[in-house]
Amino acid sequence: MDLLEALRGQAEQAEVYTIEGEATVVSFEANTMKAAKVDETRGIALRALVNGRLGFTAASGAVAEEDLVANLLASARYGEEVKLAFPGPAAGPEVATYDPSLAEVPLARLVEIGQEIVATLRATDPNAHVNVDLEREISTTSLRNSAGAEVRARRSILSLGVSVERVRGDDVLIAYETLSDISLTEAYRQAVERLAEKVRLASRVTTLRSGRMPVLFAPSGALVLLLPLMLALNGQHVQRGTSPLATRRGEHVLADTLTLWDDPTLPGRPASGSHDGEGVPCARKPLIEGGICRGFLFDLRTAALAGAQSTGNGARGLFAPPTPAPSNLVLQPGETPLARMLAGIQRGLLVEEVLGLGQGNPLSGAFSNPVGLGYLIERGEIVGRVKDVSISGNIYQDLRQVAALSQESYWVRGQLKLPYILLGELNVVCRER
Amino acid sequence: MDRERIQAALRASRADYTEIRLETWRTTKIIFHGRHLETVDMTFNEGGIVRALVRSGGWGLATFNNLETLERRVDQAYQSARWVQGEPINLAPVDFCEDEIRVALGTDFRQVPLAQKKELIEGYNEILLTQGSIVDTQATYADQFITVTYANSEGAFIIEERPLVTVHLVATARQGDNVQRAADGLSVPAGFEQVLGLEEMARRVAQRAVDLLSAETVVGGVYPVICDPKLAGVFVHEAFGHLSEADFVYANPQAQEMMVLGRRFGRDILTIVDDGTLLGLRGSHRYDDEGVPTRRTELVREGILVGRLHSRETAARMKEPVTGNARATDYRYPPIVRMTNTFIEAGETTFEEMLADIPLGVYACDSIGGQTMLENFSFSAGYGYMIRHGRLAEMVKDVVLSGNLFATLQNIDAIGNDLTMSKLGMCGKGQGGGLAVSTGAPHIRIQGVAMGGR
Repeated sequence: MDLLEALRGQAEQAEVYTIEGEATVVSFEANTMKAAKVDETRGIALRALVNGRLGFTAASGAVAEEDLVANLLASARYGEEVKLAFPGPAAGPEVATYDPSLAEVPLARLVEIGQEIVATLRATDPNAHVNVDLEREISTTSLRNSAGAEVRARRSILSLGVSVERVRGDDVLIAYETLSDISLTEAYRQAVERLAEKVRLASRVTTLRSGRMPVLFAPSGALVLLLPLMLALNGQHVQRGTSPLATRRGEHVLADTLTLWDDPTLPGRPASGSHDGEGVPCARKPLIEGGICRGFLFDLRTAALAGAQSTGNGARGLFAPPTPAPSNLVLQPGETPLARMLAGIQRGLLVEEVLGLGQGNPLSGAFSNPVGLGYLIERGEIVGRVKDVSISGNIYQDLRQVAALSQESYWVRGQLKLPYILLGELNVVCRER
Repeated sequence: MDRERIQAALRASRADYTEIRLETWRTTKIIFHGRHLETVDMTFNEGGIVRALVRSGGWGLATFNNLETLERRVDQAYQSARWVQGEPINLAPVDFCEDEIRVALGTDFRQVPLAQKKELIEGYNEILLTQGSIVDTQATYADQFITVTYANSEGAFIIEERPLVTVHLVATARQGDNVQRAADGLSVPAGFEQVLGLEEMARRVAQRAVDLLSAETVVGGVYPVICDPKLAGVFVHEAFGHLSEADFVYANPQAQEMMVLGRRFGRDILTIVDDGTLLGLRGSHRYDDEGVPTRRTELVREGILVGRLHSRETAARMKEPVTGNARATDYRYPPIVRMTNTFIEAGETTFEEMLADIPLGVYACDSIGGQTMLENFSFSAGYGYMIRHGRLAEMVKDVVLSGNLFATLQNIDAIGNDLTMSKLGMCGKGQGGGLAVSTGAPHIRIQGVAMGGR
């Protein structure tokens, strides 16, 4: 039975979303290979509008189609009243999201890469315990709706997570790097080299005195500054009125050196695509431009509730309805080489990782986090790791006074491309040991 | 799936050890956001995992949604295992049994009409919304009925039903730029009757969010801190519990030295326990996901490290007893060493006695997040009160505790007589989603805690 056809008589609008995929994962724990895993995934999700109310259901495994439809209609009977229209057929930008050669990479090659990574990091520090997860995933999603949209997307994703643990007495170092791409390239070597450098720089532990000082955020550390912004720009919070930016479109909210794009058109990135999870064409757009708030991220539902248009940012997994999410978030790099930024710092803190991301009240812009991995900068040099340090501030003040952005920028968590961000002055608290 | 087919698939496996875990999850979820009924979902999730061991090398795993392919997955797991060139792996011996655990729920939530579930959560949401200054709410009702079929090549065959019913309430209050949230909830392996009558909880949540609007940010500094049972429970899980998981130490000589049994971690008053057998808690099961019976394991007894949590693999490796702590978030994941219900045992001090000799301190309540990097931790309390001259004083917000684990455990100088187990709790340890756990503690007092803030 064609589910879309079956629903036609019972719902004003309907949508059928299916996902099928296979992933292969090799994992290394404490320097040795531990497991190889194959994941087969398939499932189906349905949405419908019945009497103006939105229903949703999803299933994996063996489920009777009558049961699926019954669940969907029950959900719609009590569902949210929302005036959304599923999109009709519309062309999106052409973006490469599938590299057939990734599917051909043999398991043996993944194992080899894992071994190489372990060996490289062990050579950096023989006491390092290296964990590696290397995953290759091929998936196909398809979306069809009663308005005539038909979108099939095929993706290949290679993702790498590497962490190093080093325990010396009660001194524990944990550092990590991640990488994701649609192809297998040499890029993993650079990621591993960056991690090795973090480990080398941490071999000396030094101390820092509390106070206000320049703080340089590495791309991974800068997440603490970006997270409140990502929440505030998300259509869910805008539509509910809980975003501090909800009413400030067109206003200057951050330093005028800051420009942030949502860019689903970047080739070769796993978060890129021609259409979002609801069949709406994707588009590159500024969210912050020269410090001015330019727009928000909406899916169909939040757009309908906010009286706006979907921005093609409806993201979905299998078991939950779509919600707004960024594709690739790109913070425009600056003009200063990283080396020159460092050279200009007399005494300051370099933040690689913070703990407790998202804790507290991030929507308000406030942050107060221990630094998981941080280094002391003295007279332009990174001189050692500092521990028991916390930073605090509020991005709506601190990101108005950005001292510099680096030329260099790096991917963080596969989805954000960020430069180094230098804040001229930030509150740093150190605990005496 | 019938038992014959599962056992035949196990017999056909060429691996040294094979296990099959099949799960079905039936979930209903209703979420109000503000005045909007945002979600009414019923989902059905079915899948399985095969784990095969080649002793000389390692683990091969296959996960799948199409259960009809079981035999092929058993072979795929074995073929994958052959690629693993790790160190030899042994599993601690266990006397396996066959068992079937069917639950008897007070009011079986599967029989409760959707309309009634919606009405219940709508009522709680209404209470949240009608307190002044509340601009947004999130009121969630969820029930989940999980059936797990577990079988291994050493004779285990266990069917276990795992029900879970949840109400979670969040209120957001706002005054201009000042946005404050409060939350509470209840999630237990029980029937629908357990989530009735939570009106008082809803009122408290809304009131707290409103009260936080006029609370000042705590002044940064170092304080004696009293943690309420919720925060102390999360602290002991995050900061200490994870270090007690043997997969952290078994392959790492330095970590073993740090966590050597017999080492003093706290004062004589401190005893920390993990116990998967307690009735009615989120972390409780008769068997873990390797078919091993759960049990009570003392981690710290009177300040001294005396035990740790094991899977069969880590127990064999460290020559320590199995503890039934191999748990998996769902069928996408193999079992790894996880906590069940982890708590600090009750002491003798009353809350008033703890307060009495604090000239200036903080009473930190509830947990809205915590993270540790082994020895370093950060915890956000939901709210707090200043303690002045031995008495509770004004409410404070943005209470973030951070510190070094070893120093902090040693600095616990009073343990209350009021042990309370939490009825909420999720643990994320490398396996997406989060696994149901429970944490608990009495009130505890810690000297010299660093507190972020203004």
